[in-house]
Amino acid sequence: MSIDFKTNENPNGVVTLAIQGDMDMNSSPQVRDQLSSLFKKNQKAVIVDLSGVPYIDSSGIATLVEGLQWSHSSKNKFRLVGLSDGVKDVFEIARLLPVFETFETKEQALAGV
Amino acid sequence: MKQPIQLTIPSDSKYLKLSRTVLNHLLSFHEIPESLIRKLVLCVDEACSNVIKYGYGGNCESPIEISYSIDEDQFVVKIRDYGKKCDVQKIKPRHLDDVRPGGLGTYFINEIMDSVEYCTESEKGTLLIMTKNLRSAFSQSCTNE
Repeated sequence: MSIDFKTNENPNGVVTLAIQGDMDMNSSPQVRDQLSSLFKKNQKAVIVDLSGVPYIDSSGIATLVEGLQWSHSSKNKFRLVGLSDGVKDVFEIARLLPVFETFETKEQALAGV
Repeated sequence: MKQPIQLTIPSDSKYLKLSRTVLNHLLSFHEIPESLIRKLVLCVDEACSNVIKYGYGGNCESPIEISYSIDEDQFVVKIRDYGKKCDVQKIKPRHLDDVRPGGLGTYFINEIMDSVEYCTESEKGTLLIMTKNLRSAFSQSCTNE
């Protein structure tokens, strides 16, 4: 019932945050902390790998919206990759899919940043 | 399934996954499409999160009583808490054009469920009753696919 994170930074200053576990009211504050510390380091781009996230609720969506807002104010890129059908459904109900840059694979997400 | 399935969890967000798992299994027994199961689980999860956040104000030791029943294609969820009464006038799902964190939970519930009723007549807390007609939701999902 926990959430795990793995970060990987490439030499170009692009960092990938891979999340493993459900993003719900219990775990979203931890995701927020991770994203906040990455934006404080002023990375060129933050890519969130959601392929290990089977479930997301409104608090998880809110956390990613916050990340998007931080990226706008810091003028860094913020991309999402590997959305499962379940996660994509929730973005679609919230009509937020067009608001984010989303990619099927990590290679696609890393291209052009 | 006329006999309701009842589950009581503490008002601690770490138990939300438990209630999601129970509902997931229950709906799977009724051969409900996976996409509809996900939506119904989301609604119950959002409602329980609201109870934890607003009803009990973060107190982790109070009960959330959840009851599920499916009768003649009608799925009914009842969520009872004994915290602060829900102020129905203040429940306003936010406008989706306003892209900002928060305020989506109630929108999800209203968007997905057929009816949502907040009963606050009891001395303490709120009874939330949400219903969904599974047959019409199933036909709709088949049409969409």
